[in-house]
Parts: sequence; C-alpha cells; structure tokens
Amino acid sequence: MRQGLRLQRLPSVQPGVALGMRALAIAIVVLAASLVLLAAGEDPLALGAQLVTATFSSTFGMEDFGLLVIPLILTGLSVAVGQQVGAWNIGAEGQFLLGAFAATTVGLFVPGPAVLILPLMIAAGALGGLVWILVPTLARAFAGVNELITTLLLNFVAALLVYYVSTGPWRDRVGMSNSSTARITVEVPEFWGLVHWGLPIAIVMALAAAATLAFSRWGYEVRLSGSNPSAAAYAGIAVRRHIVTVMLLSGLIAGVAGAFELAGTVHRLQGGISNNFGYLGIMVAVLARNSCVGVIFTGTLMAFILNSGIILQTQGITTSAVLAMTGAILFLTAIGDELAHYRIARAGARGS
Amino acid sequence: MELLTGILATTLLAGGVLALAALGEVLAERVGVVNLGAEGLMAMGAMTGVATVTAVPSPALGFAAALVIGALFGAVFALATATIRANQVLCGLALTLIGTGLANTIGRSYSGMPSPAVFEHVRVPLLSDIPILGPALFSQNVLLYLIYIILPVALHYLLFHTRHGLNLRAVGENPAAADAAGIPVGLIRFAYVTAGAALCAGAGAYLTLAFVPSWSDGMVAGRGWIAVSLVIFAGYRPVNAVLAALLFGLITSIGFVGQARNWPVAAPFLSMLPYLGTIALMIVPVLAWHKVRRLMAAPAALGEPYYRDLR
Repeated sequence: MRQGLRLQRLPSVQPGVALGMRALAIAIVVLAASLVLLAAGEDPLALGAQLVTATFSSTFGMEDFGLLVIPLILTGLSVAVGQQVGAWNIGAEGQFLLGAFAATTVGLFVPGPAVLILPLMIAAGALGGLVWILVPTLARAFAGVNELITTLLLNFVAALLVYYVSTGPWRDRVGMSNSSTARITVEVPEFWGLVHWGLPIAIVMALAAAATLAFSRWGYEVRLSGSNPSAAAYAGIAVRRHIVTVMLLSGLIAGVAGAFELAGTVHRLQGGISNNFGYLGIMVAVLARNSCVGVIFTGTLMAFILNSGIILQTQGITTSAVLAMTGAILFLTAIGDELAHYRIARAGARGS
Repeated sequence: MELLTGILATTLLAGGVLALAALGEVLAERVGVVNLGAEGLMAMGAMTGVATVTAVPSPALGFAAALVIGALFGAVFALATATIRANQVLCGLALTLIGTGLANTIGRSYSGMPSPAVFEHVRVPLLSDIPILGPALFSQNVLLYLIYIILPVALHYLLFHTRHGLNLRAVGENPAAADAAGIPVGLIRFAYVTAGAALCAGAGAYLTLAFVPSWSDGMVAGRGWIAVSLVIFAGYRPVNAVLAALLFGLITSIGFVGQARNWPVAAPFLSMLPYLGTIALMIVPVLAWHKVRRLMAAPAALGEPYYRDLR
C-alpha cells in the first residue's frame, strides 16, 4: 500500500457540506458578476448597496419582492415534488402558462360573485397544469418515454397557445394594449400591502407536501418508489401508480402557480406572464435539494436574485443576464454536489 | 410544381439545423454523456455567427467562430461531466440556461438586424435545371452538402467501421470493460463531448447564417431539445439522425406552406407542429414496435459517470 493521503468517494453526502457547496457556488457567481460589472466601469459595491436598500428599505420594494416569492416557491415545489419519484418536470413553465390560461378562461367567461369565481379560477388553474402534464406522465409511466424532454417541449406549445389567445381572439379590445386580454376583475385579496394571499397559501402548500411525504404511508411509498424502484416494486408498492399521481401533482402545483400569478399579480393574460418562473423553479428545487420545506427558503433567495436583476435593469443588466447567472450557479452546484462526495483519507485505511 | 419544389427546399433547409445539432448530440451520447445543453450551445453559436460576420463579412469565418465557441463551452461541460463526473442532467440544464442567457445578453446589439453576410446558394450546373428536384437539391448553400452527406457518412464510417469507433462505442456501452482493455475512458468522453458541442454551436450558426438569417432573442426556440429527442428516435445512429431531421424539416415546411397559402389555421398553431410532432414520434414507436425498442436502445452506460474504484 502506498503511504500518504488519498481521495475517497463516499456513497452519500452530508447535508451541511452540500449546503456549504451551494453557498460557495452562489458566492463565486456573484463575485464573477461583480468583476464583470467592475470591468464595465460600474461600482459593484454601490450597486449591491442600492439593491438592498431598493428591496428592503421601502414598502414598495418589499411588495415587489414578495410578489416574486409566490410563483418561485410554487414552481420550485412543483419540480421538487416530481423529483420525489425521480421524475424531471422541466415543463413547469408550460403548466404555469396553462394554469394562467385556464384561470383566465374562467375569469373572462364565467359570470358570478367573486367569492365563487376566485376558487373556481384557482381550481381551473390546477386542472390546466394537470392536463398539461398528463401526456408526458402517461408516456413515462406506461411507455418509458423520457419525461424531461416531453414536458419541456410542451412549454413551447403552451407559450404559442397563450400568445395566440392574448393577441388574437381574447385581445383587449377596449384598452390600448393589443398583446394582452382585458383586465380580469376577480382578484386574490391582499395579505400584506400589494402581496396577496398566494404567499401564505404557497407556504402552507409546501409545508403540507413536506408533512405528507415525511409522515404518511403514501409519502413513504412515494419516496421509496423514487429512491429504489425495484426494491419498492419487490415490497409490493405500486410504483407506476405513484409515478402517475406524483407527476400529476407536480403539474397541478405549477398550474396553481400560474393561476395565482394571473389572479393575484398580473390580472391579464399575456405572452410573458410565465417570466421563466418554471425554469427558475428547477433552480429553486435543486438548491433546496428537493426538500419541500427547503423550497420556501430557496424560492425566497431566487426571488431576491430575480428582483435584483429587475432593479438593475437600468444598469444594463437584463433578465437574460439573470438567467445566465442562474445557470452558472446551477452548474457550480452540480459540480459542488459531486465534490461533496469526496473526503481525504489516509491510504490503506478503507472506510465504510 | 413550384409548391413541391418549395416544400422540398424548405424541408432541406429547416432540417439542416436539426441534423447538425443531432449529429453533435450523437457523438456525446455514443460515449455515454447526455448533453442537454444543446439548446444553449445553439444559441451561443447563432449569436457568435452573426457577431463574427458583422465584424468580418465572411460566413465561413462566422461558422468557424461558432465551432470554436461551441468547443470552448463543450470543454467546460466535458470537464464537469466527464472529468469531475458531476450530474449530467443538471450540468446540461445549466448549460442551456447559461448559453441562452448569455447569447441574449451579448447579442442585444445585433438583435433584429439581418446578418450582413450569409452562405450563398450555389447552383450546380446542369443538375440544378432538373425540374422540381433541381432547384431544391442542387441550388442550396454549401453547408447542406456537409450536413447531409459528408458528416453523416464520415461519422457512420468512424463509429461502425473503424477500431477507434469500436473503442468509443465501448466507452458508452461498458466503460469498465473499455477501461480494462486500456481505452482512456475519461479522455475519449472529454474529446467527443467537446466535438459534439462544437457541432451543436455550428447548428446555431447555420440558423443565423443560412436559414433565417438574422439574430433575435429566443430564436433557437427549442430546436436544441428537438435535436436531443431526434437522437433517441434515431437510435443514436448518425445516418438515421439526419433522416429524422429531414422528417422534421418536412413538418416545419408544412407549417410554412400553410402560412404562405393562408390556410384557415392560425399561424401559432402551425408553429406548434414540430413540438407536437416530436412528442408523437417519441411515444408512438415505443408503443407500436417493441422489437424496435431493443434495436434502437441507448448506449448502456448513457448518463452514468464512470468511477474506476467503484467497479
């Protein structure tokens, strides 16, 4: 045996190390972005200070920030729930759009008192998200077709559908805009300032999902189906049925996110309503290591990053730049997760 | 007559983007690495192509610059997935976000302008005068010959008729056995993932220098993802991948014809056809022919990192 130190790969990662790697990934990307800004003649420290004051020192800033937290918790939850059975729902963006579309359908065409219409809009949104993931779910469960690609491709179809109705048949004919529907008068009531009840509801949904997964028999079966499908099947668990229900639930949550965004924040269906929330949700779930409680915190963090991008738009930073930064964090997180498996051990001493 | 020529020409043109990207993806997947960053690489390539010809009006240079940028991004992706062995799905999604975001950010100043230099159509004497087929097949840009004939034949020969091809397929099927036979698994994965990424970026440059030809935000519009699905549909074979790309070119051209001829279907619905078609083609063959499924199976070690110690 050789003397000295050697690297050893452990089968699992300690949560603390993984968390540290995430913090490091974010720090590296923020540092790199600061250097780019510095090279472009900006003062990153002053911009940072401006960000914090713009977000936290005014009610207005906090409201904007709070409104971004809602969809990001929900799309993050959607992706994290899918991951419980090992399914990649990259279609949260499309399910979000369908949720908004379905809620708009109710809002525009179903008359009635707001007390009835509002729950109906949210329910329609949930159904829209569920319908949008139905084909990928069945294809995955019964034909083994990769759900990652099918859910993603449907994002483009959903975007085209929303673009079509909001610029075509449902276009606002009274207002000045010709790229959105008329304002939908039924609204989610406000909870704090402009921030609507979607926020507490999103948090409760995340907690409820976490509790169900952790403490119920169903949750146990789902987690086992995800982590070791053959062992689960051997133990008599209906793995395929769990894949179907969990994927449908994932789509439903993203649909609810879209319905809340429409009925609580934007109030008109328009092409850009999804605002990459579905894609950013992947990031929220990965940062949270697919923990349903974790997405509450990482969703908030992601909202801060996105909000920063929006505030800095005057400094030439765009939502595209935020998307690139998000990608860089995701990339470094993936590398960090792998590196977290290693530890330095003395040669000859074989652990585990 | 003219309609047929138009459909055929558009099929070839539209299919070319997907064919080139799919060939790049075949290279990566044959050595066992899924590159879900194709979409982002295409965006970078498309933007690089336009940016280059804006500075120097040479489409060949623009295409070459895109290949270089693709190889650079590919090398970083390969370092993460083949060398460090990080999660391929996450790294691929990250590459898509980085490429798309960066291309839109850098490309803002070129957005919407027509490309200053593009690949011109080259008329092959005599052959281009054949009715219907002539103008479609023999009066096209030169890249199409590279994409439809030279590359697929060369890659098919490399993969299935050379010793080196056998080695690289072994790396994708059974890296442990390949390693035992003395094949440098990490190095081969690194090299082919990088080369594949270069082709994906090249497909992007083809988009802005031969097909559309201008740059705008979001113009790749999921073509990278369609290319990834085509590779599965084509059973990871280069010639099949090009044929599958032609099928998609045909679907796209039907959409174009519909718009040009004012079919009573709204344009956005015609634009949905390639996405819906891709989903249908991913599901239907699996349901219809179970034997096909075995024949078209993915490389056995696809998506799996290789650790020598954990053999």
